[in-house]
Amino acid sequence: MRGFGSTLGLYRPGEGLLYRWPLAPKAAASLGCAIAVVGWGSVPTTSTVLALALAGLLIGARQSVLQTVRMLLPAAPVLGILALHQGLSQGWVQAFVVVGGIAGCLLAARSVTLTTPLQVLLDGTASLARPFRRLGADPERFALALSIMLRSIPYLAGLFVDVREAARARGLERSPRVAVTPLVLGAVAYAHRTGEALAARGLGEHDEGDDRGQDHERVVG
Amino acid sequence: MQPTEKTSPGPVVDGRPSSRKRWDTTDLSLVAVFAALIAALAIVPGIPVGPLGVPITLQTLGVMLTGVVLGPGRGTAAVLLYLAAGLIGLPVFSGFSGGFGVLAGPSAGYLIAFPPAALVAGLLARAVLRRAARFRTVLLFLACVVASLSTIHPLGVAGLMVNADLSLRDAVLVDAAYLPGDIVKNVLAALLAVSVHRAFPRLLARPRA
Repeated sequence: MRGFGSTLGLYRPGEGLLYRWPLAPKAAASLGCAIAVVGWGSVPTTSTVLALALAGLLIGARQSVLQTVRMLLPAAPVLGILALHQGLSQGWVQAFVVVGGIAGCLLAARSVTLTTPLQVLLDGTASLARPFRRLGADPERFALALSIMLRSIPYLAGLFVDVREAARARGLERSPRVAVTPLVLGAVAYAHRTGEALAARGLGEHDEGDDRGQDHERVVG
Repeated sequence: MQPTEKTSPGPVVDGRPSSRKRWDTTDLSLVAVFAALIAALAIVPGIPVGPLGVPITLQTLGVMLTGVVLGPGRGTAAVLLYLAAGLIGLPVFSGFSGGFGVLAGPSAGYLIAFPPAALVAGLLARAVLRRAARFRTVLLFLACVVASLSTIHPLGVAGLMVNADLSLRDAVLVDAAYLPGDIVKNVLAALLAVSVHRAFPRLLARPRA
């Protein structure tokens, strides 16, 4: 397993207004920004969203300007090309509306993940499923699936790197099939092991009444 | 290692005899691990392919693969779980860092298309695996192509038009740039799916009664 766990370390401890806010209003504001930009793309919308996001990060989370700019780096190539295209074809005002709006939404979303510990984020997500319990949703199983998923990402990413290195050692790095097949087979086997481990602990069963009599049929690995 | 077959699906508790009720812990963890697999493929740098070595990201490969390996129900659930993780802000999407911000981004249409893509690919793959004994790779490849042409590309173009404010012509041109890579990924998904179903024959071929 390699250092991919740090990819998920989004929360950076700090001080500021946003750190003290509960998750719900922050998430609602971030979602509101996205809806506003998609629904009403205009100069006032983009300016407002950008101003809100920057205020949130610079003042609410006390980030430096450099840190804030760095948050947009992963998206920079796409945003740059888009800005150029819009500027040349429809004018620079439109380029600002489109690219500024997207950047504002990305920063707004980042301000939420930056100031909310992962566990709070996960608990909040699972509680979102609660109103849908009547429709058959199961918040506990949803939360369990989410945490298994998070635990699996570093394992799989590390496996992927190992498998690619093995392929490179054989001079086969240009063959995606060689590079990915062991990863996918490993993922399925890993899922089966995890499923059996969960069953052995009685976790993740949908209803306790269902479990009676099944322990004898199951081969626990 | 194969899980033993579950013989009694148990009483239907809330009068909703859906397939959900029959998902055991292995199904649950398959859904979770495949959501993680899509994430791992999306965040690891792309593989250089062909003589030019143009890197392709493997996010859509993960989506297609999830559909054809897990089938429509679990496959769609896995993709939805992946999207949910990305939307709450975990950095599991290619390029962007995740969060509600991606909904305003140019690739929003592609993301929204992922669950229906896995659904269509899963439905077709299940039919292929249960009925066809030969030419499975080719048929699974066609299943992926149908799924991606009917969902990912139309919705992707729509997303480019709405969010990136491109004209229909420009959006189709941008989208077309992804087509060759898509074909490669669909071939790969079919080859991989055949390997997986050969190694784990009970994943999809058995009628889940």
